[in-house]
Amino acid sequence: MKKYVLKRVLTSIFTLLAIVLVLFILMQLMPGSPFNDEKLSDDQRAVLYAKYGLDQPIVVQFGHYVVNMLKGDFGVSYNISKNTPISQLIQTRLPISINIGFFAVALGTLVGLILGLIAALKRDTFLDSLCTIISVIGVSVPSYVFALALSFTFGFKWRIFPMLYNSADALNSSVMPSVALSMFTMATIARFTRSEMIEVLGSEYMLFAESKGLSNHALIFKHALRNALIPIITVLAPLVVDLMTGSLVVEKIFAIPGVGSLLVNAIQSNDYNVVIALSFIYSALYIFIMLVVDILYGVIDPRIRLGKESN
Amino acid sequence: MKKKLLALVLAATMAVGMAGCGAGSDTGAAAENDAPQATGEATSDLNVMIETAVESLDPQQATDGTSFEVIADYTDGLMQMDAEGNPVNALAESYEVSEDGCTYTFKIRDDANWSNGDPVTANDFVFAWQRAVDPAVASEYAYMLSDIGQVANAAEIIAGEKDKSELGVVAVDEKTLEVTLNVPVSYFLSLMYFPTFYPVNEAFFNECGDTFATSPETVLSNGAFVLDSYEPAATAFHLTKNEDYYDAARVSLTGLSYQVIQDSQTALMSYQTGDLDITLVNGDQVDQVEDDPEFDSIGAGYLWYVTPNIKAVKELANLNIRTALTLAINREAITTDVLKDGSLPTYTAIPRDFAADFAADQEQFSDFCRDDATAAAEYWQAGLDELGITELSLELVADEDDAPAKVATVLKDQWETALPGLTINITTEPKKQRVQDLQDGNYELGLTRWGPDYDDPMTYLGMWYTDNSNNYGFWSNSEYDAIIDECTTGELCTKIDERRTRLYDAEQLVMEDAVIFPIYTAANAQMVSSSVSGIEFHPVALNRVYKNTTKN
Repeated sequence: MKKYVLKRVLTSIFTLLAIVLVLFILMQLMPGSPFNDEKLSDDQRAVLYAKYGLDQPIVVQFGHYVVNMLKGDFGVSYNISKNTPISQLIQTRLPISINIGFFAVALGTLVGLILGLIAALKRDTFLDSLCTIISVIGVSVPSYVFALALSFTFGFKWRIFPMLYNSADALNSSVMPSVALSMFTMATIARFTRSEMIEVLGSEYMLFAESKGLSNHALIFKHALRNALIPIITVLAPLVVDLMTGSLVVEKIFAIPGVGSLLVNAIQSNDYNVVIALSFIYSALYIFIMLVVDILYGVIDPRIRLGKESN
Repeated sequence: MKKKLLALVLAATMAVGMAGCGAGSDTGAAAENDAPQATGEATSDLNVMIETAVESLDPQQATDGTSFEVIADYTDGLMQMDAEGNPVNALAESYEVSEDGCTYTFKIRDDANWSNGDPVTANDFVFAWQRAVDPAVASEYAYMLSDIGQVANAAEIIAGEKDKSELGVVAVDEKTLEVTLNVPVSYFLSLMYFPTFYPVNEAFFNECGDTFATSPETVLSNGAFVLDSYEPAATAFHLTKNEDYYDAARVSLTGLSYQVIQDSQTALMSYQTGDLDITLVNGDQVDQVEDDPEFDSIGAGYLWYVTPNIKAVKELANLNIRTALTLAINREAITTDVLKDGSLPTYTAIPRDFAADFAADQEQFSDFCRDDATAAAEYWQAGLDELGITELSLELVADEDDAPAKVATVLKDQWETALPGLTINITTEPKKQRVQDLQDGNYELGLTRWGPDYDDPMTYLGMWYTDNSNNYGFWSNSEYDAIIDECTTGELCTKIDERRTRLYDAEQLVMEDAVIFPIYTAANAQMVSSSVSGIEFHPVALNRVYKNTTKN
């Protein structure tokens, strides 16, 4: 198990380095530059390029960047917040985005599991259809539509939650964005849980367990759900990425000072360092989640762990 | 079957609704507790919506309107804008101009202090202005001191040929500042309210080092408000009235509360619930609010125009073709049916309501620029005959943002309808790329805009000077260049009336040669609460000033 984890961690690090390189090349290919505002003359642009080292060959730039990054220095912002170190820019914003994302995943997974379980256990009843309808809506309606709908009803009409994110009241402010973001996760998890549970419940080992006279409770939670969880965890990782992309829009709607809105602004204004740093963080998060998921497989299903170790 | 399905859907909606109520009720109490506090604040703080975050609070690094507005909330320059945009004394108690118009001597008020207690001195200006031209600082607005302000030696310092200590600004004594210009600049006083010229306390700046102007602790105020909560790129921040401000008696707001909102729907809803006192509305929302007495439209100074690439596209080098294109535009339709935000159709190379209403007479170039599809068709035919072609296909490049993309579509439609044989292909690009393409001359027709940097027609007319980097069409006319020279560095600099007349001559050259097709002067559609009065709006430098604002 240790060897397996170590191998996965090392692969992750190399993947991240490769990502930085790709991001760097992509930035070079991006049309325009951070400094081609119409108010700038050619001379001034040259001065700015020299100041930030953008006049160097890309290989040199990349070298500098990686060396600085290893020291924890992601450079400074060129234009969305001039000369501010990226680390300072992200410091307060990242926790906000992660909090909202975490609430959304937790809420989505929990509600999704419950809905899926109900649907599977009460298969072909009214409850099953109800859960299916909810999940179809959740999958097909984009998160920003939910965000706008929530904002309009709970924020504007009923004034239950603040429409604009207020850092003094972070908990209340996070409710609507988290719920909006969680819908897709919830729906997807519900659908997967339902189909997995139905499959597992119909399997022979369940029949065997039932014939041993196990209680209903033990049957469902100890045997059925645990086996059904594996494919569900597999979909959870890509869902987290959907959350990140969803947060780009949802953060805008609720005026959340998170990293999603920062990334959008940075891309629009060619603020290279911010884009690279944030994309890097998103990638790192994703890779980290994949790693956790891989390790979780082993915990939930010993067969996977053994299988990999014997290789 | 259908009924059953309907029942299911209804039940589902109810369930979702109930789940929502359940979640809401735990936290509803907390929200109610906050409410009185929020309204308590609202009686005196002005709640302002901004579309983009502050890019920089460093007066010599900032370049965008939002940053300028916030910097000016807590910093005064030598001059400030009155309600009409004229320069009036601020930190300067008095000033003298030498007979040749090249030396300005400012006396700084004795009661002007920084928020750390230091007095505002002449050296604060010397230090700040030297920073503005220092190549190591690489300020984007350095040209405000060189090309535009004509401060002695500024251009040489920016080019790295002289040391910044040689800049033509000296502290004669603690409260006397002497500025030397290369040539007289008629609008020089109006530059003094432009944030690039604002003072910076040298000792404080050195204490802060790299962190200068990144937090309330690293900025000093000498103005009407004090920054008390802020972090870089903050989406919400706050300023409180500066009780030590020399003009504090005039300031009635207790503070300013800024909120960045990028989503226009959220912004309008927040305004309607009373969380905001002033907000922008976009063109699509105008229909919804235009009958509201709180709805207003404020000139934004930007001139939107189409630039034809005269040098690279041989068909566009033909004057008849260009004239046909500008005549075929129906500007009224664009502003009233498409933009709807109060933008004004414009038939001059200078935007409307700008520079002492330089473009007041919109008819003066009507021989070359008006909404006249019939005349356009005649010019068009003549142009096609001269070129010996019957069909022409042109590419129009525009920003992919909402308004420019819409305008481009309408232009295509108007042109193709009025001018037989013409096909327009629209390319929309991110603004950064569009600017690059225009600067590189890699375009045929470009929809672009220009915002004024200072209160003088030259901020526009300077663009069509030969080889100016914003002369996208590479038009060149020696007579035009001569007039511009005469009015910037030549003998007309001090003769205000004659200069104005000559500038009209220059504008006429641009218009009769159809170097640009002006379309409209942009406006911001906005809502301002009826309890608020006295916000001063300006098209140049400081877009909104709150010193005289009251809120009941």
